[in-house]
Amino acid sequence: MTAPLLELRDVRTWFPIRRGILSRTIGHVRAVDGVNLSIHPGETVGLVGESGCGKTTLARTIMGLDKVHSGHLLFRETECAGISTAAMKPLRRKLQIIFQDPFSSLNPRMTVLDIITEGLLQHKMITPGERQQAAEQLLRDVGLTQDALHRYPHEFSGGQRQRISIARAVSLRPELILCDEAVSALDVSIQAQIINLLMDLRDAYHLAYLFISHDLSVVRHIADRVSVMYLGQIVEEGPVAAILDNPKHPYTRALISAIPKVGSTERKRIILPGDVPSPSAPPEGCRFHPRCPYAQERCRSSIPRLDTLSDGLTSHRIACIRKDEI
Amino acid sequence: MKNVVHIKNLEVVFDTDEGCIEAVRDITLSIREGETLGLVGESGCGKSVTSMSILRLIPCPPGRITGGEILFDGQDLLTLPIPQLRRIRGQAIGMIFQEPMTALSPLHRIGSQLVEAWQFHYPLKRREAWEQSLAWLEKVGIPDPAQQMYAYPYQLSGGMRQRVMIAAAMMMAPRLLIADEPTTALDVTIQAQILDLMRAMKKADTSVLLITHDMGVIWEMCERVAVMYAGEIVEVGDVEPLFNTPLHPYTEALLQSIPSLAEGRGRLPTIKGQVPSPLEYPAGCRFSSRCPHAFDRCLAEHPTLKKQGARQVRCFLHDEGEVAS
Repeated sequence: MTAPLLELRDVRTWFPIRRGILSRTIGHVRAVDGVNLSIHPGETVGLVGESGCGKTTLARTIMGLDKVHSGHLLFRETECAGISTAAMKPLRRKLQIIFQDPFSSLNPRMTVLDIITEGLLQHKMITPGERQQAAEQLLRDVGLTQDALHRYPHEFSGGQRQRISIARAVSLRPELILCDEAVSALDVSIQAQIINLLMDLRDAYHLAYLFISHDLSVVRHIADRVSVMYLGQIVEEGPVAAILDNPKHPYTRALISAIPKVGSTERKRIILPGDVPSPSAPPEGCRFHPRCPYAQERCRSSIPRLDTLSDGLTSHRIACIRKDEI
Repeated sequence: MKNVVHIKNLEVVFDTDEGCIEAVRDITLSIREGETLGLVGESGCGKSVTSMSILRLIPCPPGRITGGEILFDGQDLLTLPIPQLRRIRGQAIGMIFQEPMTALSPLHRIGSQLVEAWQFHYPLKRREAWEQSLAWLEKVGIPDPAQQMYAYPYQLSGGMRQRVMIAAAMMMAPRLLIADEPTTALDVTIQAQILDLMRAMKKADTSVLLITHDMGVIWEMCERVAVMYAGEIVEVGDVEPLFNTPLHPYTEALLQSIPSLAEGRGRLPTIKGQVPSPLEYPAGCRFSSRCPHAFDRCLAEHPTLKKQGARQVRCFLHDEGEVAS
């Protein structure tokens, strides 16, 4: 197997909680707390979980926008945790992000031409004379018409703006694009168009995606593998079909059963009690135990590690000490 | 079956700098006693405008209700004097909004907000109203309700705030509950809790108008559904037959473009183009520019909502029936 494009080893991103006039650190919000994840070239990995589970912080950490507290973040086998902005710059070109909200992620004072060629000029991949031509090609790639070039973001609908964001992301010929809820703000008919576009670009440019979403049906369509996150940690990971058809972790099961599905006849849902606990004071032991229907006394104290089932796929790993019993 | 609310030819416009925008037109819809009716469509199609019109909550200006009537118990809500309408709001017709943080007052404790509602509609002493409210917080599953009566909305999580909204809307035993995207802002596991609670709290004769863009929610909660597109109702019918054999091309395309959880991978069928802007609605059918079945008549003439068995459809492909009323 080839070396992974991106590898996270026990990555923690903690934010200090400061109090008092001396701003003493009295604790940490453990947004990402010991995540292992790898993405291979050309592969799409889905990252799912509910709000506040740390999906976005993880994406920001990978991009270098939030500082790694501890752990290793390797991009093409180069350590990225804690390196300088200058050292990061050549890697940045290979690593791009598409945000959820196409309204706040595009500069309203820049024309589409400026937005999608800024990175190319910054990285000296084109000369100013080649801008027009490069921009026209990018617009064709993402399915926008040429008259978009000299217009401003507010003149476009949500779906079109997301196409502009995609053009900006693919302009630098990256190897990995992080899609942070990239289609969540769109209506279903537009969402389908954008998902298709992302799949076409993946095939055309051999892109890898980290596709962050709370919508498991979208992930099913686009991803090869899925990681399920709960309260800063990965609780289950594996091939998309294994996770969605045969979820093993009690949280994944509840998450999948909670989705209202068209055409389902059984109305048997697993209703989890209560809310997700605060990441500043996560529960001891297994973080899911206060809401877990299978929790036992030992779940309160022992911390589960991601591991395969005794008779399961080697690629399907679950962080639950009772995974072989339930 | 008896109708609780009958909306007839409702028309709402908004005055903007660019001109007068038609938000919804020719909305004819009845909500039957005891049923849960879903109202579904994409952003900007007029779902919320329709539901807000029932209680006349459209901000005016810029919004204006320019035509039609909304019959509730034989009286037209659109011409009812405001003092009488206020007696209906929150009592006979309850409402749950999408964002409970903006629907609840941030400056008042949960308890006083519920007590205020009781005392507005019934001649209750403060203590009696307090006890009723407390009982309802307990009913909707708020842990430690006696304590939470003193909480401010910001101190509760999104799911808990939505439970408070449900208590506030259901405690007067309304005949109609309007729920405008009640679970859209919530995570799926919390959404499952709230939908479960709404089902449990609903009495047999309470009607619910559930507005959502999530077809899965419609399937699990509703008996009938109305599909809206570009300010109009394009199809109405019982949920199961409508989902299995949609008649309107928009309903069909919409259902197909939803990614499925059960099977996967491969290109999704899409609807080409985008919803036309309300300033430039075509003269013919509003879906014609995106419709795979459009023919000459669709571009020239505007279709009306017609009966098709138990279904109502606005499409020239199914144009034989009577005009829906």
